[in-house]
Amino acid sequence: MSGSIQVRGLSRTFHTTVRRPGLAGALKSLIKPDRVAKEAVVDVSFDVAPGELLALLGPNGAGKSTTIKMLTGILTPTAGEARVAGVVPYEERERNARNIGAVFGQRTQLWWDLPVRESFAILRDIYEVPNAEHRARLGEFDDLLELSSFWDTRVRHLSLGQRVRCDLAAALLHDPQVVFLDEPTIGMDVVVKEQVREFLRHQVEERGRTVLLTTHDMTEVERLAERVVLINHGRLVLDGTLDEIRRKFGSTWQVRATLADPHARVEPLEGISLLRREGPQVVFGPDGPTAPTVHQALKQVIERYEVTDIAIDEADLEDVMRTAYVQAEAASSAQAEVPSGAPAGGD
Amino acid sequence: MSSEAGTLKSRPGRPGRPWKAVRIMWRITRLNFRAQLEYRSEFLMMVAIGAVWQVSVIVFATVLLTRFTGMGGWDSSDVLLIPATRMLAHGLFVLFLGRVHGLGRHIQEGVIDTYLVRPMPVYRQLQLSYFPTNAIGDLTVAAGLMVGALSRSNLDWTAGRITYLVVCVLGGMLLEAALFTAVACASLRFPAADYWGRWLEELLGTFGSYPLNVLPKAVGGFLTFGLPLAFVAYFPAAVLTGHGSSTGVPYWLAAASPLLGLAAYLASRLLWKWSLRHYTGVNG
Amino acid sequence: MAAVHAWRAARVTPLGELHSPPRMTAELLRMTVQVVLVASLWRGLYAASGTTAGLDRDQAVTYAVLATLALRVRNLDQFAGRDTVIQHMHFGTIVYWYLRPLAPQRYYALRALGEQLYGLVWALAGYAVCLAAGVVQPPKSAAVAGVFVLSALLGQWVMYYVMLVIDQLCFWTLRNGAAMLILIFAQNLLSGVYAPLWFFPDWFITMSGFLPFQATLSVPLSLYVGRIPLSDAGAQLLVQAAWVVALALFTRLLWRRAARRVISQGG
Repeated sequence: MSGSIQVRGLSRTFHTTVRRPGLAGALKSLIKPDRVAKEAVVDVSFDVAPGELLALLGPNGAGKSTTIKMLTGILTPTAGEARVAGVVPYEERERNARNIGAVFGQRTQLWWDLPVRESFAILRDIYEVPNAEHRARLGEFDDLLELSSFWDTRVRHLSLGQRVRCDLAAALLHDPQVVFLDEPTIGMDVVVKEQVREFLRHQVEERGRTVLLTTHDMTEVERLAERVVLINHGRLVLDGTLDEIRRKFGSTWQVRATLADPHARVEPLEGISLLRREGPQVVFGPDGPTAPTVHQALKQVIERYEVTDIAIDEADLEDVMRTAYVQAEAASSAQAEVPSGAPAGGD
Repeated sequence: MSSEAGTLKSRPGRPGRPWKAVRIMWRITRLNFRAQLEYRSEFLMMVAIGAVWQVSVIVFATVLLTRFTGMGGWDSSDVLLIPATRMLAHGLFVLFLGRVHGLGRHIQEGVIDTYLVRPMPVYRQLQLSYFPTNAIGDLTVAAGLMVGALSRSNLDWTAGRITYLVVCVLGGMLLEAALFTAVACASLRFPAADYWGRWLEELLGTFGSYPLNVLPKAVGGFLTFGLPLAFVAYFPAAVLTGHGSSTGVPYWLAAASPLLGLAAYLASRLLWKWSLRHYTGVNG
Repeated sequence: MAAVHAWRAARVTPLGELHSPPRMTAELLRMTVQVVLVASLWRGLYAASGTTAGLDRDQAVTYAVLATLALRVRNLDQFAGRDTVIQHMHFGTIVYWYLRPLAPQRYYALRALGEQLYGLVWALAGYAVCLAAGVVQPPKSAAVAGVFVLSALLGQWVMYYVMLVIDQLCFWTLRNGAAMLILIFAQNLLSGVYAPLWFFPDWFITMSGFLPFQATLSVPLSLYVGRIPLSDAGAQLLVQAAWVVALALFTRLLWRRAARRVISQGG
């Protein structure tokens, strides 16, 4: 299976030293450090098909970066197994390196003192990319990311947006089947973000690359990802499509209508409840598990009543994720009391 | 940022504010010291390496003196006073004001921008940014060398001489701080100025420990008026040991070394204030 | 394949330097001033005495100036390029070293090789000028010159490993900036940069005989000025070669442990 990612029961425990408070404590820690284990990733399993873009979501410290590090071969798991394009990354790091590209947020892999194009040339030689192919790919990246206007500048003089675009290009220069992006658009302006998204979409749709992305930007998720995996406290909470997530955590839309006849009788519709009424103003909300989507509800309201004005308040993905994170939090603290330790939510 | 003097001095009406500032500085220094302890292996390694270093420095300082007796017409016990003064001044500089050295790297990481939004003078924040563990080693070596130099000295150590020596050590510290502050001002504008800082350190270390009259006039002149390292230890030691009139500069100028250090330091602080006002931030 | 990518990695430092002319001007100025100062200092020190510790005035000046020049070979402003181990550890970019199909130790070696070759050009240019100006003496014979070249080569090789060990320490102690400075100081002192080792007391010379530092500079320079006679050269070269082997094995071990550390902690 070229370009696929398989993750089975992946776990990672870190051992850290706890510091005792106070000067005396610090001196004591110097002589006899206290070590504790912290489970960063616990029994995580999921698959990514070739040519699929998967968003790995979760609050800060959920274990996303640790997962990505294990999949890129930088970190060995304490248990479980992962395969990236058929290779076990942490066992055959260099073989895996040829199949993957990676960008870690704002950490640049470019050479600080050299013009960007020199960095590209070094990477070309490291990955042994034929010259013609290199030129062609650089041309393609330039069309999408507009690199040529600044690729003769030294990296130290680039703006953040320019640098991250160059880093993206650098990660993809060797035509990797699988791409890992750890918060690639963090801190970028909307124009550059859109450009990067367009680029990623192109890489997935036209080039068939598999992309695993972590981000906190829900617009990005909405624009790019068909499927998301949600983890929290190192455990997998949910693996599904955006629609599934919305259905599970985000059924909180409201339709606000102003009726032409302020005295008209208003009744709940199927799956739609009446939340409030103030004179001609009525507010509808979803009712039960059979609630329609906000757009269906809008249609029903317009068909049923004569309205002069209508507006919708849809819970956007941000709200959905907030709910999801909070519920996952509650679930995992309940989980903590169950000794069996099965992954919350399961898959 | 307009007032480098800072908020603490800008409200002179309240008594006890300087005391409060000192207390804050002490508390931060203690926290910094504890932070050094956090990096276990580093701390232990510093202690271990510091011990090796002490031995090698003292060996180095005494080697040339025993090999080249009568260097520059000086008695070797007198010459020893030069490296002792310089190293003690340097140790104190590292302990109290040393954070101006190597600032360029931190500037690139944007620390100045952080300091500028806090209600404490930037220069003070800079000095409080970490605890210089290595100063412990520096000072131990320097103190040992000074004790050695004084015990070998044939001079009559009157109260006046001792006071002058103490003042000179402080003056040397201020002069070194002034030079590095000037480099730090340059790094506010060009982070690459760190390069000059490292060279400055090398020059001070290499040429600060000899009677400079062994050098050709032009070179000695450069180290007096170009890069004034002669004022750190050579002139004070010359005045103390009675070579004050054969240094190539007027006696009063050599004798006024500590004053010059103070003046240079104050001037460098003015330069710092000016540079900070013209600080434009790091790009990106 | 290997030649091309080796060339790319090796030329990073020179290329970075060529892209910042102010840095080169500064280097030139610093080298010039340093040579003038060092030469006049040693001439001044010798003004009142004859041969000391087996070195006469010209030998001592030659030794000191050559040491100053040799320092340029591996004393670049490495931090400017943000490609030192300590910086990669600090910025978290060390992960990229382990994400490429080029082993980190190989990349490091290529970078260092480029840096040392670039520095060598500087040192040679400085040497030519000093020789023409009569600041340093030429080698006594062709044999001395040949042995010196061989010994200097081995010395740079040992130097590479010493710097490598210092860099590798950064994998364990992230904030060892000060420790590095002290180690570099030790390297300078014990390799004879500040003063030829011959001036030091016997116990110091004996001690440094057990350390690799004197193999980097002191031995080749002593061969050059004739303080070590040609008849002893063979033994000295053997000792240097032994250090190369020992340090090669040691740094290999450290690389393996560093990789294990990165892989167990995620960089």
